[in-house]
Amino acid sequence: MKDALRAARYRQRLRQGVDRLATALITAGGIGVIVAVLGIGVFLAVEVVPLFWASDVADTVNIDALWLPQTYAGLDTAQFRWQPAAVAPDETPRYSMAPLAWGTLKAALWALVIAVPLALGAAIHSAMYMPRRLRSRLKPTLELMEALPGVVIGFIAGLVLAPWVERHLAGTFALVLVMIPGLFAAGIIRGRLPRPWRDRLTLGWAGLWLMPWLMLLGIAAIELAPWLEARWFDADLRGWLATRFGLDYASRNALIVGLAMGFAVMPSIYALAEDALSGVPSSLAEGAEALGATRWQAFWRVVLPAASPGLLSAVMIGAGRAVGETMIVLMASGNTALMSLSPLEGMRSLAASIAIELPEAAPGGTHYRLLLMAALLLFVFTFLVNTLAEVVRTRLRRRYHRLGGA
Amino acid sequence: MVLAAWLPLASADEVVGTLGAIGSDTLAGLMLRWGEQLTERHPGVRLQLQASGSASAPPALSAGTTRLGPMSRPMTSEEWRRFTERYGYPPTEIEIARDALVVVVHRHNPLASLSLATVDAIFSDTRRCGSSHDITHWRQLGIDRPVGRIELQGRNAASGTHDLFRRRALCDGYFRVRIDEHPGSAAVVEAVASSWSAMGYAGLNHLTPGIRALALRDDEGYEVAPQPAKVRSGAYPLARTLYLYINLPPGEALPTPERALVEQILSAEGQATVAELGFVTLPEATLIRQRRQLGLEDGG
Repeated sequence: MKDALRAARYRQRLRQGVDRLATALITAGGIGVIVAVLGIGVFLAVEVVPLFWASDVADTVNIDALWLPQTYAGLDTAQFRWQPAAVAPDETPRYSMAPLAWGTLKAALWALVIAVPLALGAAIHSAMYMPRRLRSRLKPTLELMEALPGVVIGFIAGLVLAPWVERHLAGTFALVLVMIPGLFAAGIIRGRLPRPWRDRLTLGWAGLWLMPWLMLLGIAAIELAPWLEARWFDADLRGWLATRFGLDYASRNALIVGLAMGFAVMPSIYALAEDALSGVPSSLAEGAEALGATRWQAFWRVVLPAASPGLLSAVMIGAGRAVGETMIVLMASGNTALMSLSPLEGMRSLAASIAIELPEAAPGGTHYRLLLMAALLLFVFTFLVNTLAEVVRTRLRRRYHRLGGA
Repeated sequence: MVLAAWLPLASADEVVGTLGAIGSDTLAGLMLRWGEQLTERHPGVRLQLQASGSASAPPALSAGTTRLGPMSRPMTSEEWRRFTERYGYPPTEIEIARDALVVVVHRHNPLASLSLATVDAIFSDTRRCGSSHDITHWRQLGIDRPVGRIELQGRNAASGTHDLFRRRALCDGYFRVRIDEHPGSAAVVEAVASSWSAMGYAGLNHLTPGIRALALRDDEGYEVAPQPAKVRSGAYPLARTLYLYINLPPGEALPTPERALVEQILSAEGQATVAELGFVTLPEATLIRQRRQLGLEDGG
């Protein structure tokens, strides 16, 4: 009896010890991660800050030279130039950070323009209409898409997609112009169909029965493109864009990058948005429907506003990923340090510049420290965006909890 | 077949040791092949190569980390001075092959040749080679098709190819901003091969069937195509020599493993490899001169 009691107490103490050990390990791990992240930030800052005190590079490295247009020798107008390598000894390298930061934001913006409507649309569709069975199949597929390495996506975008789009420029434009109204047309036609037909084409399986329709539209667009081009664009869309709007088409441009990077960030935006939507307590929608709202009204007026902070944080996570993405921009953008708005021209991003130039920059030199400064900028930006998105998500989860959901 | 002929010789002399070389990545493929041939002939010899760029060779030679420095450009006077200061004698310079930078266009592009000043006017916005105006569009070259802007393709700023093109073709000027920078010559070639309105530059050994190298016009207006004979003689304006620098005290003979490598490089087989990899072989006179200079017996 006494022995059994002692054994039980011993076991309990052992369990407590193991618990305490596990807690300590997990805490240490957590603190380790935080220290590592802060350590990276501190390392970058320590490497970068001396630049602004060094007097020998004060002419080429100061706030003005980095961020404002400069009038360089041999050029007529003030311009932004990132040309860090000097060949002649009397030359001054040109360090303008502005086009790199601009290129980063431009690439991220076009990626979001493409990814956000598709990802949020898909999340809304799957939360509202899709049968559970299909939804459970869709998620792993999209996760697979996320697992594709950036370098593979970049390779395909740069070496396959970009030349194809260049050769079929009119066709690509026609494709976009036909697809979007085509989808709306599909919706209208479905609404007009007789009942038995409409019942067979359920909204939940729209992804499947829209496929042949979209394929038909696509083929029509590609086939019609040469005729359209000949009729309205002097048989040369590229020349027409150049003469009419002064738009130059570079084969590796922001749209190609946006398409490729949009593909890369879409799965994570979808996953987070889907979580936010399906996490909304079902009692809310059920209550609205009980009060006479249609399913669509309940979704639009009740579920969507409740989930909107989650959707916002999903977009922010996507933005953070797009800003930090390296290989896709490196391989698909042409790396031209331009300050242009045009989606048909290339750009050079901070991350791609670091990847290309850091291995060859002399450690401790001005160029090296400037590249670390680019890294610091990226670090601060992604850190802020991710933290903000996480805060929004935590608050949302607490709100759902209060409303009686999961 | 050739190797079989060497086998009896290989067993005769005892050449052993590991050679370390630090330098050009342009030369990496060539050095590796020479190293393989060397190991086949003298099974005791290994060549270890660290191909991190021509600029890494002189510091490594000066610091004594390596005795062999392959470079795709000659040493600058500064690098030369530093080595001499450290050791009291200059490095031994051996020419190992010739190469050239070529200006390339899509294979269907009708353009035949460009003058050097035009090349500068196309690729730079400083125009230090003497052109009077910028050239940005194909019609400025007198060509109807392709229309529109010339899409420029080039290497990233860290590469020796970028550096050399700036020195030799842009007269030390700056590239335009609107030039795509690719992380490798193969990517430049691929970009030019896939776009009709593209123009780029690359090393001669990167030529593929999808692209065409333009002839360059010299000051007298003669067109010089980058053919091996023109590159070898230096008549092609963007030709360059590839070097191997050796740390060798004056009056001393080359240590056996190094000697075997240099012998291999200057041999007929070694030079055949040069041609095989798309570079240009050295003129016979240069080969003979260098063999004599290094005290190698005529075997090849």
